[in-house]
Amino acid sequence: MDPHAQASADWRPRIVAFFCNWCTYTAADLAGVSRLKYAPNTRVIRVMCSGRIDPQFVLDAFTRGADGVLIGGCHPGDCHYSEGNMKLLRRVHLLRRLLGDMGIDEQRLRLEWISAAEGEKVKTVVNDMVATLQKLGPLAFPERAAAWDLEMDEFERALAPAAALEEVTHG
Amino acid sequence: MLATEEAVEQMWGVTLDRLYDSEEGRRILSCIQCGTCAGTCPHGEHMQYPPRRIITMLKAGLIEEVFASDSLVMCVNCYACQSKCPRNIRLTEILLPLVKEQTIVRLPQMPPELQKAVENSYRYGNSQGESARKRALWTKTATVPIRILADDPRPVDALWFVESDLAFHPRGQDVARATARVFDALGADFAILGNEERTAGDCGRLSWEPGLSEALIDYTMSILKKYEFRRIVVSDPHAFDAFKYRYPMFGFDETVESTVSYVHRDLEKIRPRLKKRLEYTVTYHDSCCLGRHNKLFEEPRELLLAIPGIRLVEMVHTRENGLCCGGGGGGMWLDTYYKARGIERLSDRRVREALDTGADVLAIACPYEISRFEDAVKVAGAEGRLRVRDIMELLVESFGDA
Amino acid sequence: MNSNGAIRIGFYICHCGTNIAGVIDVDAVAAYAASLPGVVLSRDYKYMCSDPGQDLIAQDIREQGLNRIVVASCSPLLHERTFRGAVERGGLNPFLVHMVNIREHGSWVHEDGGLATTKAMDLVRAAVRRVVHHIPLERSRVPVHPDVLVVGGGIAGIHAALTLAAAGKKVTLVEREPSIGGHMAQFDKTFPTLDCAACILTPKMTAVKAHPNITLWTYSEVTAVKGSVGNFTVTVKRKPRYIREDLCVGCLECIDACIYKDGKFADEFNLGLSKRKPIYVPFPQAVPAVPVVDPEHCVHLKTGKCKDLCVQICAERNAFDFDQQPEFIDITVGAVILATGFTTFDAKRIPYYGYGVYPNVYTALEAERLVNASGPTGGEIVLPDGRAPASVAIVHCVGSRDADYNRWCSRVCCMYSLKLAHLIQEHTKAEIYNFYIDMRSAGKSMEEFYNRVSEEGVHLIRGRVADIYPETANGKDGHIGRVIVQAEDTLIGRIRKIPVDMVILSVGLQPQDDAEDVRRMFNISCSAGGFFLERHPKLAPVNTFTDGIYLAGACQGPKDIPDAVAQAGAAAAEALALIDAGFVELEPNTAYVMEEECSGCKSCIPLCPYSAISFAEDVLKATINAVLCKGCGTCVASCPSASIRQHLFEDAQIFSEIEGLLTHA
Repeated sequence: MDPHAQASADWRPRIVAFFCNWCTYTAADLAGVSRLKYAPNTRVIRVMCSGRIDPQFVLDAFTRGADGVLIGGCHPGDCHYSEGNMKLLRRVHLLRRLLGDMGIDEQRLRLEWISAAEGEKVKTVVNDMVATLQKLGPLAFPERAAAWDLEMDEFERALAPAAALEEVTHG
Repeated sequence: MLATEEAVEQMWGVTLDRLYDSEEGRRILSCIQCGTCAGTCPHGEHMQYPPRRIITMLKAGLIEEVFASDSLVMCVNCYACQSKCPRNIRLTEILLPLVKEQTIVRLPQMPPELQKAVENSYRYGNSQGESARKRALWTKTATVPIRILADDPRPVDALWFVESDLAFHPRGQDVARATARVFDALGADFAILGNEERTAGDCGRLSWEPGLSEALIDYTMSILKKYEFRRIVVSDPHAFDAFKYRYPMFGFDETVESTVSYVHRDLEKIRPRLKKRLEYTVTYHDSCCLGRHNKLFEEPRELLLAIPGIRLVEMVHTRENGLCCGGGGGGMWLDTYYKARGIERLSDRRVREALDTGADVLAIACPYEISRFEDAVKVAGAEGRLRVRDIMELLVESFGDA
Repeated sequence: MNSNGAIRIGFYICHCGTNIAGVIDVDAVAAYAASLPGVVLSRDYKYMCSDPGQDLIAQDIREQGLNRIVVASCSPLLHERTFRGAVERGGLNPFLVHMVNIREHGSWVHEDGGLATTKAMDLVRAAVRRVVHHIPLERSRVPVHPDVLVVGGGIAGIHAALTLAAAGKKVTLVEREPSIGGHMAQFDKTFPTLDCAACILTPKMTAVKAHPNITLWTYSEVTAVKGSVGNFTVTVKRKPRYIREDLCVGCLECIDACIYKDGKFADEFNLGLSKRKPIYVPFPQAVPAVPVVDPEHCVHLKTGKCKDLCVQICAERNAFDFDQQPEFIDITVGAVILATGFTTFDAKRIPYYGYGVYPNVYTALEAERLVNASGPTGGEIVLPDGRAPASVAIVHCVGSRDADYNRWCSRVCCMYSLKLAHLIQEHTKAEIYNFYIDMRSAGKSMEEFYNRVSEEGVHLIRGRVADIYPETANGKDGHIGRVIVQAEDTLIGRIRKIPVDMVILSVGLQPQDDAEDVRRMFNISCSAGGFFLERHPKLAPVNTFTDGIYLAGACQGPKDIPDAVAQAGAAAAEALALIDAGFVELEPNTAYVMEEECSGCKSCIPLCPYSAISFAEDVLKATINAVLCKGCGTCVASCPSASIRQHLFEDAQIFSEIEGLLTHA
């Protein structure tokens, strides 16, 4: 369990999902048409291609309180736009490192290649990710960030008299 | 189809009431009543309720009628129905054991030979009823040193689980001695449990009531805990199957290998020893547990073909479509029961298929088959024409220095 | 109209009958939406996509001065176009609407109504925040090239090509075999009417050859595809047949003249049941009737030392050209119809059926050739030893409906198995045993056909064949022994072991071996089994997810001849609709450069798969050609100075969506 996590009994992980229009979004539609049942924790944002997904979207989602981010794109070689998914893959590698530095478990960012025919995979991936996040507990990044801010404020306040003094000396 | 870990997890602890709680159990609902199970079952024509009808009876709430018949006593745990089922229903792994258990409980009289085997297994740890203290006796006549862990409990690479047929049956002992020689030739670091060993539990619930299997599994696990080893190498395919798919349900998580694959992996090490040409035409009988259930089709054949001079021919029913010897699922102790019902022994059928190939050696890799097939060869009046040999025996014969 | 100024959002939630309202509390969501900033009107309605539903939006825009619309209903992939139209009819720019998918991603996939309702509210909140950032956009138009490419010359491709040609369109029909005709040309009679396949197919084949609007390229394959809807550039490889089609008159005397007096090599068309020469036509009615030389076996091509009797006999026409090389030709078309067909299941994969082991076990396609009058036996059903069978087993569902092989029902096998039963019984008077699991006789006249064959006395045994093995060893005189077909007759609950002279395996249909390559080349999707995926199973069954590419025939899934032809007609009509419009409107989701912010680093330029980004040397800025841009947004996400933006997927829109999802109001 994440040390910062304070999971209440009715806590449910929140997942922001970015799905590409041609493969994964369509697969999620197929899951619907096939009436497959999966956990109601994802909120999908549709983009035309996973290549559109800016690392900032992911960071923004975490800083606004997402417990996980799921990215879905076409299988390698199947990108509707040739290789936007591969461009994304490179970004995700870098992003993972950055998330690690921020203390965000790498399992909270998941990248899956899901073709338009793989409605079943949408179900298994979402359910699996929810189970993983249940184990990890809440990320609570906004709270953490607030705590950091508080710490920084205190730090600054602690330094303030000295700085003021310095100012006086040099002023 | 091959058993998977997920399936294994779901297999144990399932009862008929909770059959549809697991994904694997629910698959029974997808049955299309095609009858492949009944059609391929070696005893299909003698079953009032073959798997297909069991499923309909179950769905109709009439399963008690199935228990009351003796249909499932005919099941020899050969995995044929499961392997061909177009819906991948785990018949042999999940459904049939549950039904068989109930069937045996309701039999007006337990078939005496089976009863005896069960009693013996409880009392002596082997179905033969031999003294547990004589289990390691065969090692005295082995030509290579065999370490017994009770005497020398140092860690070992391969803990060789010999199993009762190799330990007690005279022809089994031949195979045990041959296996020891092959291991020695491999330069393997191996040891046996000796008198501490008890039968691993055969085909578990498909052979007898679960209480016995569980008692045997508990015992074996407690003995294994005493020693350090890297892998268990198992000669008897039924025991191999038990270690692989039944023991894990009780928390067992050691590496398990069959003798065949263990030797096959280091085949190159013994190849230079295979000097003597054996000018035999050999046909290989796929053990159901090794073959159909664990997909070890190529390894035994490659071992045979490594022997110079051997010509391999196939029987009509081979590999995935192999015909059971009739010994599994308790069949080993049901020959009299079957005979009383006018059912031909499967070993007799199988030996006729072997004779049809014109082979002079019937190669096997399961200790049940030696006694079954040697007897069937006699029944067929083919003594001297067809010899039954374990692969290990043939390898040692090719060493040429015995 | 009123797209600027104060934001006035209209929110609509659809019940979709009970599809949505049965799970999600639409009233609660509507009430919630009404409380969100900017929302001035919130309504729920039974069917938003219906005319009254759409009118509601248009009317509200006019009467309430709405300038942004959010519709919570089904997938935008299904109805975004519908609601954009409604918004436009209300006098608003169509891109000021945003859809929330609460059906496919909501009520259909979640069982807990409370949680599904919460999810819907989150999505609605995100959409409301997003739509604020929508601005009016214009669609651009690109012209559509009027020519069409049809890939595959089976019955589906032939029918599509003829339909388009009849409408006056120029069609190129590409077929990889030496002749068009496909599988249908191999069949004898066709179910359920039992009309002869050649009789109905041959006229269509010759019509293709004769039609002035059709360019027929056989022995040719598509090797590359570039461009997009309205403007595809397709590279076609024309394999050398070593005989010039423009000079050959199809007298076929060269085949007679060949130094091989008899056929020596496995005849592909007859599935190896007969032999052909190194120079051959696949079958007598082949179109074009131009022989092909097999370079693997032709003595001239292999050694250069041949008497060249074929060339000599053709001296007058001089059609031979042994120097022919593969030719790669680029053509430009506006639309493509894929009719690449199917292949049959490889029966060897089921070892216990003995195909390839016992000489009297055949596949159904081989049986088609045997019963065919122009087949290897002249229409005689005979065993390899020359005898006519006295008993024949026909095994249904070989490779179909089977989790170990192909899960699907191949749809045609029940009926073709009955057809073969009828034909073989007619030819040989043999006892016929059809082993089936379920008899599938859906479709016009099919059940009647089933009835007819039943009455003819064919033994219909309900049970899947579990084992096939020899009754006795084959005789030394070449006599082929019977095999025993073993199955449970599930209707009587007995195991049947029926000895027969001949077994026919009714192999299922599966995607062509290279369907995956074709799929990638044309940038379309496949269904789980590997057949090409239609855009919508009911509403767009011949469209793909790639505009301008249509599907016909069994490449999309197993189907019989009537259905393949019907689908080919539909695909041709879709292509015609595209071409006759003359242009396509492009989604205005293109990327654009904020020139003042572009640092001129050029890192975006190699990212674009369409070469839509160029570098304006005069101002040292990147610039995007909106016509070439397909709107993937990869450059947008990659621009280090955030100076590339994308219409409809603006950063501001996506960030506000994220914010909306995660902010509890």
